Amino acid sequence: MVIRIKKRKRGLSEKIFLVLIVLVLVLGSLNIAKAKGWLIPQQKFEVKDGVVDLSSMSLEQKIAQMVIVHGGLHNLHAWKNMQVGGIHLFALQNGELYKEIIDKFQEEMEIPFFVTVDLEGCWNPFANFKQFVAVSEINSTGEAFEKGSDEGKFLSGLGFNVNYAPVVDLNDEIWKCRSFPGDEKRIGELAEAYILGLQSEGVIATAKHYPGKTLVVKDPHKFLVVATIAEEDLYPYNYLVEKGEVGMVMVSHIIVSGAVDSEGYPSVVSKEVIKGVKEGFKGLIVSDEVNMLGLKDYYLAIENMYVDLVVAGNDLIINFNEDPNEIWEMILRIKEAVERGEISEEQINNSVRKILIAKGLTVIES
Amino acid sequence: MASDKVMAIINVSLGLIAVLLLINLFGVELPSLGQAKLFLDKEEPVCVVNWKEDYSLWGDIDSCCLEVRKQLGCELVVEGLEDWDVDWVCKTGEGKVLKYWLNDKAYNYCQQSVIW
Repeated sequence: MVIRIKKRKRGLSEKIFLVLIVLVLVLGSLNIAKAKGWLIPQQKFEVKDGVVDLSSMSLEQKIAQMVIVHGGLHNLHAWKNMQVGGIHLFALQNGELYKEIIDKFQEEMEIPFFVTVDLEGCWNPFANFKQFVAVSEINSTGEAFEKGSDEGKFLSGLGFNVNYAPVVDLNDEIWKCRSFPGDEKRIGELAEAYILGLQSEGVIATAKHYPGKTLVVKDPHKFLVVATIAEEDLYPYNYLVEKGEVGMVMVSHIIVSGAVDSEGYPSVVSKEVIKGVKEGFKGLIVSDEVNMLGLKDYYLAIENMYVDLVVAGNDLIINFNEDPNEIWEMILRIKEAVERGEISEEQINNSVRKILIAKGLTVIES
Repeated sequence: MASDKVMAIINVSLGLIAVLLLINLFGVELPSLGQAKLFLDKEEPVCVVNWKEDYSLWGDIDSCCLEVRKQLGCELVVEGLEDWDVDWVCKTGEGKVLKYWLNDKAYNYCQQSVIW
């Protein structure tokens, strides 16, 4: 009798063990699939002879084109599946590694990625194998053009097509090397020459960080950064926009007042601030990286921040969150805002049209 | 075959693992020991920007973390700075390069970030 009860007990334990081991294996596999982004639906796409029909793109596909992520190989399949607009690369050991990674990303992509980098001021992600002169050591427009051209040749050789440079903010008190020397007029001229050189090699330049003062603010509060913008801070941006050469303008998270007023919002989510640069500008407006507490702390729910970034008028959103599920969430939250009517689909179309044209594609709407 | 006691221990352990996997699958974030340690640590994070002979304290730790993330790597400091107590130096390459000097508090904070 005792033996039979023991046997029954053991039989039950073994059954529970089998159920649990299967459960752990299934849940483990689902966790891996989720972490790798395999549960995100694939965004199929068709481009014929470099022509994209905007009306054939789903809303998710269009919004995904507005996102720039960190191009880590661990997320290769996730970013390709989502067809995000661009990948950004940090410092690597050598040029071959850059080429290899960029090739892997661009392989079989119907719409190529923007491949972006920060080669700006005195920050050189290639310093392990290639040196460049810091912009603070540039004294003439000839030198600035040559620098832009040299860097453009080098970047396009590796496969990059966007550089988040030049910085055109004034009075670099923190790094003392990120901005061109001189007053606002001189900075505008040198930046223009650099942009012409860079873009002559097929690499899009980015004037940053609108509306200025990002090099002088030294933490007035712990996480929220505020500044008063003067007319001279805006001068390089107005000058470059008027010249019509620069391909992108990056907007900062600083809360501003003065010559431009963000009305208490971080600049990057302020309609007023972005309207100021968008008027008369045919290029792309790109947000600064969005995972900074100066921006995030402003929101109780992060999905509201994602929506506000588009509502404010950014064409491209830089989000280096390493979790592909979070990037997919962002796309879905923005899509819901479009469906609710908070963002017009026409605004999304305008941004995507500009992005695709900047990638060298022809855009039609059947 | 394992004894009843061993089977019970294995089953309870598997049950706990299944619960943790389920929590992770649905994205429920639990406060970790690391986060608690960071919260209780009252030391101020320090980020010092260094170009050539110039050193400047940078108060925007989140932006500092982003710049540090862009570097090739960080290493423990052998010889520190005169004006600040730092434990890590982050840079790309040798020679005339931009460097970021951090104390443990700032470095650990950066590593908790979603961009890391």
